[in-house]
Amino acid sequence: MKTLNIVPVLVLILVLALTRLGLANDGKYFEAMQKNIKAIYEAQTIEQLQATVNAFERIGSAEKDKWEPSYYAAYGYIIMATREQDGAKKDAYLDQAMKAIEKAKAVAPKESEVIALEGFAYMIRVTVDPASRGQQYSGLSIQAYQKALAFNGDNPRALSLLAQMQYGTAQFFGSSTSEACGTLQKALEKFDSYKSENALAPQWGKQMAEKLKTNCK
Amino acid sequence: MSAFCQTIISGRITDKATNPIALANVLLLDTYDGASSDNDGKYSFTTTEEGTKILLVKFIGFKAYQMPVTLSGKPLNIDIVLEEEISELKAVTISAGTFAASDESRRTVFKAMDIATTAGATADIAGALNTLPGTQKVGETGRLFVRGGEGNETRTFIDGMLVLDAYGPSAPNTPSRGRFLPFMFKGTSFSTGGYSAEYGQALSSTLVLDSRDKAEMTRTDIGILSVGGDVTHTQAWESGSISGKLQYTNIRPYYGLINQEIDWKTAPESIEGISSFRQQVGKNGMVKLYGNFSHTNYSLYNHDIDDYNQTQLYDLENNYNYLNASYKDVLSNNWIVRGGLSYTLLDNNIKLDQTAIGDIEKGIHAKTVFEGSISDQLELKTGAEVINRNYEQAIYGAGNREFNEVIAATFVEADLYASNNFVTRVGSRVEYNNLLEKLSVDPRLSMAYKTGSTGQVSFAYGRFRQSAKNEYLRVNTALNEEKAEHFILNYQRIDNNRTFRIETYYKRYSDLVKYTAYDLSDLKATGDGFAKGIELFWRDNRSIRNIDYWVSYSFLDTKRNYLNFTEEAMPSFASKHNFSVVGKYFVQKLKSQIGATYSYTSPRPYNDLNNDKTNSGRTPYYADLSFNWSYLPKPYIIIHLSCTNLLGRDNIFGYEYGDVRNQEGLYNARPIRQAATRFLFVGIFITLSKDKSVNQLPTL
Repeated sequence: MKTLNIVPVLVLILVLALTRLGLANDGKYFEAMQKNIKAIYEAQTIEQLQATVNAFERIGSAEKDKWEPSYYAAYGYIIMATREQDGAKKDAYLDQAMKAIEKAKAVAPKESEVIALEGFAYMIRVTVDPASRGQQYSGLSIQAYQKALAFNGDNPRALSLLAQMQYGTAQFFGSSTSEACGTLQKALEKFDSYKSENALAPQWGKQMAEKLKTNCK
Repeated sequence: MSAFCQTIISGRITDKATNPIALANVLLLDTYDGASSDNDGKYSFTTTEEGTKILLVKFIGFKAYQMPVTLSGKPLNIDIVLEEEISELKAVTISAGTFAASDESRRTVFKAMDIATTAGATADIAGALNTLPGTQKVGETGRLFVRGGEGNETRTFIDGMLVLDAYGPSAPNTPSRGRFLPFMFKGTSFSTGGYSAEYGQALSSTLVLDSRDKAEMTRTDIGILSVGGDVTHTQAWESGSISGKLQYTNIRPYYGLINQEIDWKTAPESIEGISSFRQQVGKNGMVKLYGNFSHTNYSLYNHDIDDYNQTQLYDLENNYNYLNASYKDVLSNNWIVRGGLSYTLLDNNIKLDQTAIGDIEKGIHAKTVFEGSISDQLELKTGAEVINRNYEQAIYGAGNREFNEVIAATFVEADLYASNNFVTRVGSRVEYNNLLEKLSVDPRLSMAYKTGSTGQVSFAYGRFRQSAKNEYLRVNTALNEEKAEHFILNYQRIDNNRTFRIETYYKRYSDLVKYTAYDLSDLKATGDGFAKGIELFWRDNRSIRNIDYWVSYSFLDTKRNYLNFTEEAMPSFASKHNFSVVGKYFVQKLKSQIGATYSYTSPRPYNDLNNDKTNSGRTPYYADLSFNWSYLPKPYIIIHLSCTNLLGRDNIFGYEYGDVRNQEGLYNARPIRQAATRFLFVGIFITLSKDKSVNQLPTL
């Protein structure tokens, strides 16, 4: 009897040990991610961005079942593309961003944030050669935002980026920007109210939305 | 305990020229450990891992490097030299003879969209390519005539598969339009000579069209045109798409408004259906199916040259079916396979007064190609194909003439990179022709050398062959194939949205079809000829804001002694000087793109029957100023307006002669004119989709 009683205890100890091990690992992941997420939001130069992207890639190399490292690596590359003037280099950064997004999508195919980021990458693609790329990539971009919103209608980044595209289109056609400004209003509300359960979830984009808001008055 | 065993890894990352690479990512795979290199290329990090791990080094623009490392606590010093990735912009490419158009590639001279927005081309592929150097405008046909070659010497391929007769039927002396719309393709490669061994049975030029992959979104497009209408529906899903288009064209109302040179009984009317299907298979595989049917009919009266009141009725009914199935997949890291099957059916029923003539051509083309790299320095392409053409002409009461031609071919081509700046392509094509019972071997050779960061020189040589036209082959099925040899030298410079190209060539023709006087029953392959010339191209969309323009000039010197020529002479489709300027202007305020094209072609020869010399006559020069305007009032509506020959020039393409001499002992002549001075086109295109910001702009 005694020996039998020991089994559940052993199991419990083992489980506890494993969980602690898991927690320990997660703690390391969490810590590394938080440090670098802070760094990427604060990065000013292409060099700082690249160094932080490198760190995310290293984390991603160990944490293959997490989408966040690839997500932030892609985000870093997109921001690098926006800071770059040369079209060929912009494209090279965006190619890297797309690779990272594909990785994130493979882990979390229905993550609204990842799909919204994909739309952002397409949006920056347009800026390389608006005349010949505008049609194709703005279509793809809007499509991605709508898909992202279908997965999570509260995603403030998807809303704000969509508003950006709607605003650009309305401006081009000289039509009313009310639809764009409506979407933006919703985005701004969501920036304040929406809280993801995931502590590593993206937080960026509010500034961009507030900048667009000055055009909506 | 092992946890206390730490290994320090450090070293330096450089490129081949020992320049330091900063911010390269150095990492131990599957761990958190690693570092970025500093400004001197130096890196250093500590790891508590043990045993064998993979060290990976990567940086944008360089090939990733990896090596196994053994971690035992002993410090490791590892210096790594990264090899530059040959990006598309930096790589040397063979540009002799080739104009590639693509929206994806940054280095192409021409964008897919350019084809649709060139004024005067009215969204016709050949029409737009006719503004490029190497082409000689033959206004009464609308086809591509390249470097002293006839219209049939340019062959069209879709996804690598042959298309028999890529042009729709047109009334006599009116430009015919291509059967394939430019928006279907994501890439176009137009070669004016020296092309790959993959393409055979083309004497002068190839037009290689690469169809779009799966459609991205579900949508319906409606077109209301001044000459008809069309409706297209596209259904897209995650891994594929299907789309169908139905188009009806009737020029009758238009011809009722604008006076025509042609005496129509029934103006052209046609119905056309297109469907396409795309499906991704596995991770990298793609299956494409494309089908097209069209039915056209018209009838007209030909007036006798000597006696205008005497007429002959010409009635045409044309049926066309084209089916193309292609497959592409990745075999391994370095190899891809692609293949396909195409089928063309061309059925003409002609009535000349009471005489009925039936003309049927069927063609099947099957092909498989393997492409891959053996090493960084060697790329290989090899494949095999069979082209079977069955042709039959039946004249009521006069019997049949037919042939069944099978051409089996295999080809191999290797790209050898001596360095990043120098590439040589060597190839060979072996063909067996069942009608001749002969095996032939044709060599191909091209080279390209990069002279600087933006310029390159290339050279191409090749021998090409093509079966004689059906109208000759049906008379003598043992007629030898016509042959041509191309020698091309090219310099090209692409620099920040500006392109400059200069190209010179020499082309030698042999075994051209030859006969004496009017005896078409005795055909021999004894004709020959040559063509040489120099061509210039300049494109600039940077210097003037919102303006994109290009200028082409071609000089051609060509003579042939073929068909019933009594001596070596310039053929009637050739012209010495061709010049075009194409401009596009985007006006944000008007939400419009406005474009204009001016083309000039110097006088062309015609055979003056009142002169003993072959082709001694010269037409006046040809000139055309065309205009187009695309207006986007709403994101999903486009209004398109275009007009050719704005200045109304009465272009004359040649002369036809009567059958008998008149009282002065001369043959009566009648000029071949444009069917109408101008062609005016108005179209409204509406796109219905969930997302209202989509329109048909890329399709116009």
